[in-house]
Amino acid sequence: MYFTEMQQLPHLEFVLDKPLLPEFFLLLQQGVDLRCRICCSVAAFLTDELRAGEETIAKIQSIILDGKPVDDIETAIVKDGSVLALSAAMPGLVGATLRRGGAYSSFRNAITYHEKAETCSVKEGYVRIKLFNLLMAEMGPCLLQRGVSLKAEDLLSFMAGLSQDFWKGCIRTELDNRPVDLRKLQDSLTGGDEILLSVSPA
Amino acid sequence: MDKILRIDVGAEGGPKATEVPVGDYAGLGGRAMTSAIISKEVPPLCHPLGADNKLVIAPGLLSGTASAMSGRISVGCKSPLTGGIKEANSGGQASQVLARLGYSAIVLEGKPKSDDLHKVFINKDGVRITADNSLKMLTNYDLVAKMKAEFGDKICCISIGPAGEMKMGAATVAFTDMELRPTRHAGRGGVGAVMGAKNVKVIVLDDTGMPMRPPKDPEKFKDANKRFVDGLKKHPVTGQGLPAYGTNVLTNILNEVGGYPTYNFKQGRFDGAAAISGETLAETEKKRGANPTHGCHRGCVIQCSGTYNDKDGHFLTKQPEYETVWAHGGNCGINDMDKIAMLDFLDDTYGIDTIEMGATIAVAMEAGLAKFGDADAAIKMVHEVGKGTDLGRILGNGAALTGKAFGVERVPVVKGQAMPAYDPRAVQGIGVTYATSPMGADHTAGYAVTANVLKVGGDVNALRPEGQVELSRNLQIATAAIDSTGMCLFIAFAVLDQPDTFQALLDLLNAFYGLNLTGDGVTDLGKMVLKMERDFNKAAGFTPQHDRLPSYFKTEKFAPHNVTFDVKDEDLDKVFNW
Repeated sequence: MYFTEMQQLPHLEFVLDKPLLPEFFLLLQQGVDLRCRICCSVAAFLTDELRAGEETIAKIQSIILDGKPVDDIETAIVKDGSVLALSAAMPGLVGATLRRGGAYSSFRNAITYHEKAETCSVKEGYVRIKLFNLLMAEMGPCLLQRGVSLKAEDLLSFMAGLSQDFWKGCIRTELDNRPVDLRKLQDSLTGGDEILLSVSPA
Repeated sequence: MDKILRIDVGAEGGPKATEVPVGDYAGLGGRAMTSAIISKEVPPLCHPLGADNKLVIAPGLLSGTASAMSGRISVGCKSPLTGGIKEANSGGQASQVLARLGYSAIVLEGKPKSDDLHKVFINKDGVRITADNSLKMLTNYDLVAKMKAEFGDKICCISIGPAGEMKMGAATVAFTDMELRPTRHAGRGGVGAVMGAKNVKVIVLDDTGMPMRPPKDPEKFKDANKRFVDGLKKHPVTGQGLPAYGTNVLTNILNEVGGYPTYNFKQGRFDGAAAISGETLAETEKKRGANPTHGCHRGCVIQCSGTYNDKDGHFLTKQPEYETVWAHGGNCGINDMDKIAMLDFLDDTYGIDTIEMGATIAVAMEAGLAKFGDADAAIKMVHEVGKGTDLGRILGNGAALTGKAFGVERVPVVKGQAMPAYDPRAVQGIGVTYATSPMGADHTAGYAVTANVLKVGGDVNALRPEGQVELSRNLQIATAAIDSTGMCLFIAFAVLDQPDTFQALLDLLNAFYGLNLTGDGVTDLGKMVLKMERDFNKAAGFTPQHDRLPSYFKTEKFAPHNVTFDVKDEDLDKVFNW
């Protein structure tokens, strides 16, 4: 996905009981788009855009940038339209192989990320973020609170699967800062639309 | 564990059990024990289903003790699937129970003189072998229910399903878990077929009245065990990731790097991966009242297993492992977790290797027997295997045979055994494992593979030769320690990452046996095991050409990275040079 211009997207905001936040985590494994500063290193992106502290970065054992494992987060560059997937430690020999800078990284050197020397000036763009396993809980709340964009059809499909318990714990839902009747939400959105989603604990 | 139970199934008057001292096999356990017995006693050129082949079932060196994670059991034979030596291993309760009953191994040998099917019952009072033809063609779940009714619920079972009775190449030996369900399997290589060839349907174990095996130095053992457990709990893999999500946590990450074999290894990305990921699986289990954090044997602190309920909240199967979800999922184009869970249950109850079965179904789909993604067709195929129909007989003997039967070229096997859930073109170190393991295409043997064969370019983590040797040594240490001790393979991360945890493992062995084992000693053990296995295979007719991937992995580009397996043959031949 490549965005040539910043779009003003409809903004759907959920405020809900904190225990319900994990309901949204599975969206994060499929990927959500973040409007952010681009053309920076993965390291800078993690700290500046995702607000990851040193302790969190230490837990990120596998970093996949545009489908390729990254070993050096200081030199790999996040670009407009990049897909950045983050994972905690993985089991097995493959887990060891995919580890960032791991001893067995040579096992996958055919697909390892190599930065090409391209000029890139800092500006705003979109990056697709995927959070896997333990990082969903570690980094997901902050990301969701900041706001991410995704296709309306994906969001509607996700919402259709939510249980009654979720809706009981959902304190407020607003679309563009106005309370919204969820039964009419589907009419307000079409499948091809992008929507900005933010989720905050009460 | 000072004795071996030999059961001569061809003795006059029916199977005869004899207890013999461990003798030359003293000090061995698990894989070391099975491979030692097979190497020494089984003629390499024998027929895998014939009189000369033996089935060896061996607990690990620390099984039956208070040690954490020591519940793995090894099953060895000459493999009906590969024609080479085989060690398949499993979780469940049998390892602990067998060890507490005092047995270093059970050896089934000889050729039956009748068609009678037998059950073997072992408790502190001895061994009783009974012909019981009412057990014929019972599924594993039905069989275990019958054994429970007969012997009570304090037992554990080692059994074969219909697939084993029909001597299929993908047949497993099943082991019951803590809930007395046949959910754990020594799956690879057709070990169940050998048990079927011996006409043994089930071995029932009851360790009532038997104490835990006592260590030579109880204080040091207790201290080492505590340090070992602490090391496992503090490591992010064994302390957090695996307990929370199970092994299927690998789905998303493998898919993301483009190494997730999809549609019979056609491509490395599956659009439906998120729907069958470990994260989704764990969430579904919790919502349905099942448990995503569960051990497969007592003393398991990693608890990477779980239980899976159906939509109505009733138990369906254990939490499917990554390789199972992949085999019946992405590799077949199926993204419905309920269907995959059903396939897992059917594999368990019919006694079929989930990896081999999933790979076989994908080959059948490529042959046009069903469309990729058709889960109901896949389920129907597994039923064909369970019923032993003509088609089922073909499918139940694995991907290689099925490919031959239906004229499919793209069959992902090495030495006749189907590749597990990692594409060797994307993760080439895994390809080296598949190619060179004495076991055939086997991911769990990966810890024995060195990094020497891989050329490391100047741009990517260049490793000096000394570093590669060190990697090799570490991997072999892990292999020998884990496979022989009865430890679960997943301790390897903590052991390799944390020197104090590795030391704790050594201390467990030393305190229990009164040894002074060092890392070098464990390395020597690992080398010995691998040499035995390689020598057996060579005598069985294996050549360097058997240490190769199918040729299409070298020529067919693998999307999305469009890579091929490019490790040179001469480099593959250097893996075991030490």
